[in-house]
Amino acid sequence: MAQPAVVAKGLSKRFEVARRGAGVGAALRALFRRETEVVDAVVDLSLSIEAGERVGLLGPNGAGKTTTLKMLAGLLHPTGGSLEVVGYEPRRRSPDFLRSIAMVMGHKRQLSWDLPAIDTFELHRVVYDIGREDYRRRLDQLVTLLRVSEIIHKPVRTLSLGERMKCELVAALLHGPRVLFLDEPTLGMDVSMQLALRDFIRAYNEEHGATVVLTSHYMEDVAALCPRIVVIDGGALRFDGGLGELTRRIRPRRRIRVAADRIPELAALSELGAVIERHAGSLVLDVEPGAIERVVPELLALPGSRDLEVRDAPLEEVMRELFDRPTEERG
Amino acid sequence: MSRGLGRLAVVGALWRLGFAEAVAYRASLAVWILTTTFPLVSLALWAGIARAGGPVGGYGEADFVAYFVAAFMVRQLTASWVVWDLERQIRLGELSVYLLRPVPPVLHHAVTNLAALPVRLLLALPLAAVVLVAAGGLAVAGDPVVLLLLPPALVGAWLLNFTIQVAVACLAFWWQRSATLFEIWTCLFVVLSGYAVPTSLFPGALARVVVWLPFHAILGFPVELLLGRLDRGEALQFLGLQWLWLGLFTAIAALVWRRGVRAYGAFGA
Repeated sequence: MAQPAVVAKGLSKRFEVARRGAGVGAALRALFRRETEVVDAVVDLSLSIEAGERVGLLGPNGAGKTTTLKMLAGLLHPTGGSLEVVGYEPRRRSPDFLRSIAMVMGHKRQLSWDLPAIDTFELHRVVYDIGREDYRRRLDQLVTLLRVSEIIHKPVRTLSLGERMKCELVAALLHGPRVLFLDEPTLGMDVSMQLALRDFIRAYNEEHGATVVLTSHYMEDVAALCPRIVVIDGGALRFDGGLGELTRRIRPRRRIRVAADRIPELAALSELGAVIERHAGSLVLDVEPGAIERVVPELLALPGSRDLEVRDAPLEEVMRELFDRPTEERG
Repeated sequence: MSRGLGRLAVVGALWRLGFAEAVAYRASLAVWILTTTFPLVSLALWAGIARAGGPVGGYGEADFVAYFVAAFMVRQLTASWVVWDLERQIRLGELSVYLLRPVPPVLHHAVTNLAALPVRLLLALPLAAVVLVAAGGLAVAGDPVVLLLLPPALVGAWLLNFTIQVAVACLAFWWQRSATLFEIWTCLFVVLSGYAVPTSLFPGALARVVVWLPFHAILGFPVELLLGRLDRGEALQFLGLQWLWLGLFTAIAALVWRRGVRAYGAFGA
């Protein structure tokens, strides 16, 4: 069996952060007596990711997703536990490890701001020791796939956010990393750019067998890209499994949409399920899984019934429901 | 590619990037150079005093001109600005990008800083030439053996300045605005290095003490070497001292860097 891409056992990260109250008085007091607070950003996290998997890390703000990702990439030193990524201990940042991974951060840029992106690509060719032939082939391929041939010769500062992000991806993928860490890669992008990036990341994963670990505030990114979801909350692992499994566990009710010429009154609908939306010609219901077989024929029997659709609840709602629960109930 | 050749190729690639950036930032580089023209102000002052009242402590008018033009040029040749870049990168989490590349971040800074020197020199040389033509010639050391020590002295001065800046910048792993500390260092440097006044003009005991400090090793020593104000014995002694300081500050910088990376919070992302 191939070596797993990531093996984390009891991984922890503790930060000591300064804190003070608001205002000048507090600022002055902090000069003489610095108060610190211990924050357990990641607590006893165990996780194994096989090579070639696409995994989405989900959790509310401050849950420990980015801290986890940064430990996987070797940027942060864990305070406890053990961690191996493609056989290396990330915190040592050995050159061979760094050549095996790439990390794209939505808020950080690796491209030189006032130079064209091609200058940074050229730097990467040398520092990642990419042969000239390989470099030309990969650059051609990436530039074509991401449609950036026109912009890689312009100073990075003149590019739009989406264009810059595409160039960031080219820079990150030129050396053919085996593991790709993506931290909010679609931050601030418009919908069509988000879709293009998702398609590209999926294609890269399928073609190269690269492992992809992703965090994103856009649940759709995660739902569209990641067959496996890892939910982290309060620094600890809350769920690890498929998207469908997560949805069925947290939010088992299915969502049914239907259009019809005449929609029954609210009172009649309550016997079918929870009404989410009711308009003159359309209806959205949340229905218990056991009731689907009974409810669907009834909806199909409505006058002019059409476009009936049964789906899992949207991931946003699943996550909201999960994080609104008291901690002990979330597991 | 062999390891050594690979490392050389990396240095070459970083150099090209640094040079391209320096060319892109040529206007701000020119402004930076103007901020380091302080020795030319001192020149006007001290040359005026020597002209009016005769030589001061062994420096006649032409000697002051030569001294301060040399001080200006040595400052250009040994310049680096890693303390501001590295401090900002640590504070804002931009260092993450450099830590992810298989190149030591300090090497990245060293080479890109060095790569800007030719552009800096190109901008500074005409200014120095104008001053020299207007005010008299630059008499360099007569002893060729002493002049042979100039290249290692300049390399040592650049490395010492760079290393001290790295050590101070690394304090940002714990104290956010560590570059402010470097401002204090710069104030001391202006006074004690021979940048504002040749150190031999200080009162007796102070003149003897300051030449042992790292400030003088960065500026006063190479300037005095260039102008033939040191004999072979003194030149070798100051060179040895300069490289001792370099050894000490390299050890300090390496220690704070290693500990700092362990404490790095990679914030801002």
